Amino acid sequence: MQAEIRVNEKKTFAEWFGSRKVQKALVIFAFMVVPMVLLFVFTYLPFGKMFSFSFFDMKYVGARKFVSFKNYLKVFSRKDCFGALKLSLYYMGGSVVQLSLALYLATILSFKVKGGALFKGFMFFPYLINGIAIGFIFKFFFTRGFVFDSVLNWAGFTLDNLPFWLKDQRINNVSLVGTSVWRYTGQNMVLFIGAIMSVDSELYEAAMLDGANKWQQFRYIILPSIKTIILLNVILSITGSLSAFEPPYVITSGANGTGTYFVVMHEIAHTQQKVGLASAMAIVLLLIIFAATIVQKLLFKYVFKSGDDDDPKAGRRRERAIARYEARKKGGR
Amino acid sequence: MKKKNCLALVLAAVMALSLAACGSDAGVSASATDKTEVSQSVETKTDETKTETTEAGVLAYTTLNLDDHKDASATIKFIHHKTDRQADGTMDAMIAKFNEEFPNIKVETEAVTDYAEDSLLRLSTGDWGDIMFIPAVDKSDLATYFMPLDTLDNLSQKLNFVDSWQFDGICYGIPYMANAQGVLYNKAVFEKAGITTLPKTPDEFLNDLQLIKDNTDAIPLYTNYAAGWTMGAWDAYIGCVSNGSNTYMNQEFVHDADPFKDSGDGTGIYNLYKILYEATKNGLIEEDYTTTDWEGCKGMLNRGEIGTMVLGSWAYAQMQEADSHPEDVGYMPFPMTVNGTQYVAAGGDYNYCINVNSSDENKLASLIFVKWMTEKSDWCYNEGGYTVVIGGKNPDMYSAFDGCTVLSDQPALAGEETFLNDMNNESELSFNAGGNAKVQRIIEAAATGSESFDDIMNDWTAAWNAAQAELGIEAK
Repeated sequence: MQAEIRVNEKKTFAEWFGSRKVQKALVIFAFMVVPMVLLFVFTYLPFGKMFSFSFFDMKYVGARKFVSFKNYLKVFSRKDCFGALKLSLYYMGGSVVQLSLALYLATILSFKVKGGALFKGFMFFPYLINGIAIGFIFKFFFTRGFVFDSVLNWAGFTLDNLPFWLKDQRINNVSLVGTSVWRYTGQNMVLFIGAIMSVDSELYEAAMLDGANKWQQFRYIILPSIKTIILLNVILSITGSLSAFEPPYVITSGANGTGTYFVVMHEIAHTQQKVGLASAMAIVLLLIIFAATIVQKLLFKYVFKSGDDDDPKAGRRRERAIARYEARKKGGR
Repeated sequence: MKKKNCLALVLAAVMALSLAACGSDAGVSASATDKTEVSQSVETKTDETKTETTEAGVLAYTTLNLDDHKDASATIKFIHHKTDRQADGTMDAMIAKFNEEFPNIKVETEAVTDYAEDSLLRLSTGDWGDIMFIPAVDKSDLATYFMPLDTLDNLSQKLNFVDSWQFDGICYGIPYMANAQGVLYNKAVFEKAGITTLPKTPDEFLNDLQLIKDNTDAIPLYTNYAAGWTMGAWDAYIGCVSNGSNTYMNQEFVHDADPFKDSGDGTGIYNLYKILYEATKNGLIEEDYTTTDWEGCKGMLNRGEIGTMVLGSWAYAQMQEADSHPEDVGYMPFPMTVNGTQYVAAGGDYNYCINVNSSDENKLASLIFVKWMTEKSDWCYNEGGYTVVIGGKNPDMYSAFDGCTVLSDQPALAGEETFLNDMNNESELSFNAGGNAKVQRIIEAAATGSESFDDIMNDWTAAWNAAQAELGIEAK
């Protein structure tokens, strides 16, 4: 009797608890809580800490002094901080080469090619190697009289006509960018192949029947279909260029005019122990990357009018076109 | 059915909650009992150590008698930077020898690559082990992290070079070996080049390098530019070697308003780095300095493919071991003569220190280990180090140093202990503290002709003066 009453009392709560709305919320919460906690503990919490560090004059150990925006002023007044960003232009140039190469290879390899899988494997392989290991590989690769020079010797160049790949300040950044292109081209290519695979193959057949050549197929079928993934890769490689670190750090340790923004930041944080200033540099770089991403988005949206797939106008245009087509079909009958 | 399900869920939730509560209750009570047990055991232990230490006073290096503690028992952890000695078994062999005397002290070692940075990060976590080599911390923070080892007065009667990590007369570190700062050279190359007497001034040195270039195939001066820290090694000659004063580096340097001016007589910091600039400009260094290989250069010096390298004496043993001509590896004082005397700077390498947060028995065991390593392991001698124990034997390699005056840098004045570190960080020149980029810049400037040497020195002076102003350090 008593138990029944208790059940009756709880019933309303139980009913509420068992309702679809609450259960849904509960399931969402249960699934979200683990990744959210991880995200918070390992991303937002350290970021918040770094943000607060940027207002202090501090070392890793020892007392801290609040200096408000002085660190930020220093970031803008120092020559080496923003001077290092100029090097990013090399890496951006490299990323253009890298993306076009990847797109070219992806287009070829997404059609039937003999040994296509093997080529894909070879191209993708560099991405699987650890960045530090790549650094060491290329350190020896570029050493005078070692791998690169030997290969060029076979091709008929004499050693005296070859430059010092890392010593000559006119080309050493190009050499470093080359390693990064070598590493990431395969990865971009695989992403592009994945996107191209999702294009309906009937479109190619239809285009072929209409007499479109391979270039026209690429230009009017493949490119519009994968523009989202291209945009994503462009954004990733631009932000990657701004934060290039591994090649200059491992191969030249940032010396001889190859110190990128990240390498300078690392030097300031760890050798000079100006943790506050380095944190401010990191925040400034973050803002620059935000700005670059937004500018790119806008550029793609307004200049190329093809930034997103979910362009509402495109949807409406498509609907109108379908309606016209249907109307014509009806009329035809 | 649905109702039942809900009920079950609620019940399950309630039970889980109560279980959790039980669990935490149990946990709390268990840890509480643990705590009481621990505090009891701590009490008994402190009683023991009290009786033990009352005879000898506080735990201190000089009063610790190793023979009294043969039965000491603990497991201690030692983190260090000698990855090569960890890999070739030297470290294990020394610990095995240590365990013959102290069988119950288990020593775990860990060699850390990139020690200068990693050790600082580990130090800030507090949980790094019991013994380490002191990284670049501020001297005022020493007591926060490390156990006092002894007073400076007591320790300096037994050991050399113990003043580099002292604060207020208390020592927190003991060097595992000491280095003398000179120049590595290949005797066979010098002979072939026709050099009969070792150079004593920068001009003689540059002439000899030119002789090596003209008469042999060897690289006259190998800079090891790419490794970075090998460039920072040039900083070790500031002070005693270039100024002939053992108070300059730690006391006067930070107050010097114009430390990088040309003294005009071939001495001083200006003429020290000028050697590097001139050698680079005249093509007396390796052709492609950006791809130098530190491991490879050891064998090259040994085989006579390199004439000279500017590195501390610690590198001598490694050069000898690198290939088949150990007898050709020589070590000479730095070619700079101040008022007719060649000075040699000698000083401690990395210093052992003990975690202040370790348990009492671990502190005791750690101190035993440190004392044994310093006095009985022969590590310092085997590495070709200058002796740390006063009156200890020196390796033969120092024979060329006869007639030179050996000095070691005096510590900073009381109240100014942190000045050099602060100046280094603020000016970003980081002398003797990882300031490799500034020395690399000299080579870049000389090789590309982008800057004159005087431009660089003026730039350094400006940075130094700005730092003095920023930190409020009086400049004279």
